[in-house]
Amino acid sequence: MNIQLLINGISLGSVYALIAVGFALIFNILKFSNFAHGGLMTVTAYIGYVASLFLRNYISSLPLFFATLLIAALGGGFLALILERVAFRRLRNNNSPVIYYFISSITMGILMENFITIFASSNFYSYPPFLPASVIHYGNLSVAIPDLLMLFFSASALSILLFVLYRTKLGLAIRTTSFDVNTARLMGMDPNAVVAATFFVAGILGGLSGVFLGINYTLYPQLGQMIVKGFVASVIGGLGSISGAVIGAVLLGVVEISLIWVVGAGWAPVLIFFIMLIFLLVRPRGISGIIVQEKA
Amino acid sequence: MEYLATTLTFTGISLIGVLGVYLVTGLTGLFSFGQAAFLAVGAYTSAVLFKNFGLPLPVAAIVAMLIGLLAGLLVGVPTVRLRRDYISLVTFGFGEAIIATLNNSTAITGGATGLSGIPQYTTLPVVAVSVIICLAIVISYKNSKYGRQCLALRSDELAAKSMGIHVERLKLVTFLLASVMTSFAGVLYVFYTTYVEPGSFGWVVSAEWTIIVFVGGINSLTGAVVATILLTGLPELLRFASEWRIVIYCTIVLLILNFRPSGMFGEYEFSPRWVKKILSKGAKIT
Repeated sequence: MNIQLLINGISLGSVYALIAVGFALIFNILKFSNFAHGGLMTVTAYIGYVASLFLRNYISSLPLFFATLLIAALGGGFLALILERVAFRRLRNNNSPVIYYFISSITMGILMENFITIFASSNFYSYPPFLPASVIHYGNLSVAIPDLLMLFFSASALSILLFVLYRTKLGLAIRTTSFDVNTARLMGMDPNAVVAATFFVAGILGGLSGVFLGINYTLYPQLGQMIVKGFVASVIGGLGSISGAVIGAVLLGVVEISLIWVVGAGWAPVLIFFIMLIFLLVRPRGISGIIVQEKA
Repeated sequence: MEYLATTLTFTGISLIGVLGVYLVTGLTGLFSFGQAAFLAVGAYTSAVLFKNFGLPLPVAAIVAMLIGLLAGLLVGVPTVRLRRDYISLVTFGFGEAIIATLNNSTAITGGATGLSGIPQYTTLPVVAVSVIICLAIVISYKNSKYGRQCLALRSDELAAKSMGIHVERLKLVTFLLASVMTSFAGVLYVFYTTYVEPGSFGWVVSAEWTIIVFVGGINSLTGAVVATILLTGLPELLRFASEWRIVIYCTIVLLILNFRPSGMFGEYEFSPRWVKKILSKGAKIT
């Protein structure tokens, strides 16, 4: 049974990893916790839903799944660009303190949640069943195919991201800007373009995680509050660290599934809080051990 | 008239909560996302003690505040040494944990269906007096040695420490003061609504309080008070556009953040001296 828990935990963790990495990317570059990411996930989940309803008439099963993911990811990317423009560009030009970004992102999150409530009502929707709902049995272990596909897609999205970050010019620019904005500007980079590109990438990840969350749970306006899981995961992993966020997310997934199995879904959040508290006491800088300097 | 009284009472109760957030966020620069959980702690403790154990109301209220203090210690002691982001995370987790606990201990708290049948004792005068007392406490705290130390700590923690300010203890004291005050607001709340359910204490409430402090101006207590009255009254005024009111509310917040980053009031504080100045200026003009 324990290996079964591990498998389920990892597949849940992979979805958390997508959220956590989207979150960590923004933290990395602007040094604030972007709660608007939650609202973005909600909106993209609905975009994907609408797209899948339209496309269902033409294609089915796997191609439909691909197309939905693609549309939601692109939607998320462009939404993130708009977000950056509306909520953060001016703050950056004003050199506002970090805390203002924080407030701005929370407000944007609440705003997007409410747009969804207004236009799509607070009813629950569920995605058309485009994935074969069968289960692979191996010995006494069982793995649901949708979970497996999600794991596959999350893993490939994260590998592509790592490739972009560490092997391309854009990635270099993002890493430089996150290190020091002013030096990056001196080296001839346009911070606005780099920040916009980062938001676009984070938006794509947000779009993917939105669709996965929508499939895993149902669609409802408060879906975006799952951002908390990403937040917790990226703190466990070390704020701003991409690989730390992935490790933290998988750990969180496994711990959560095991706790739900041991104490039930009701008490799991309480225990997770205590585990997090103890973790912060023992190792406040997270798994990756990067210390983010407080700006003087 | 009744409607006006209800609105005023709720505004007063939120105002006490916002004052707590002002102490923690405005004065000290810590970000608490679980402040509403202290409201829940105060509300539930006093209601359960009063209803199930038959304690008299003042005793129940005092015990509720003590429990709020204990909860504040539980969250505060480990976190004051950490980076500020973590404080928001831990308080957030604390809020969610409190709600999960309330939802699950059905035997005592009634679980998700809530706790009802609590008599209504809170009246508008009681709330008004409480608000004045809390306001007086916050004003004197802000003007005291501690308040100034808090401001120093907010601008630069390292510099404050090197000037001999006991940073951790100061953070903890401020946090505890806010916790106790918010728990007290919870007592007022539950004996007004006569009904509580865990859903009404989520992190969105804490976020709203924080937003209110920012809209008013992080340095200005006057701003916090005026913003509370405007922003908790505003949803009532916008009732004709009920679906859109949160959208309008968020838009106002975004506009203020973008175009007037110091908040509505900036550094300004209302004081008798200012009134005198305006009056004498007015006299000169006429």
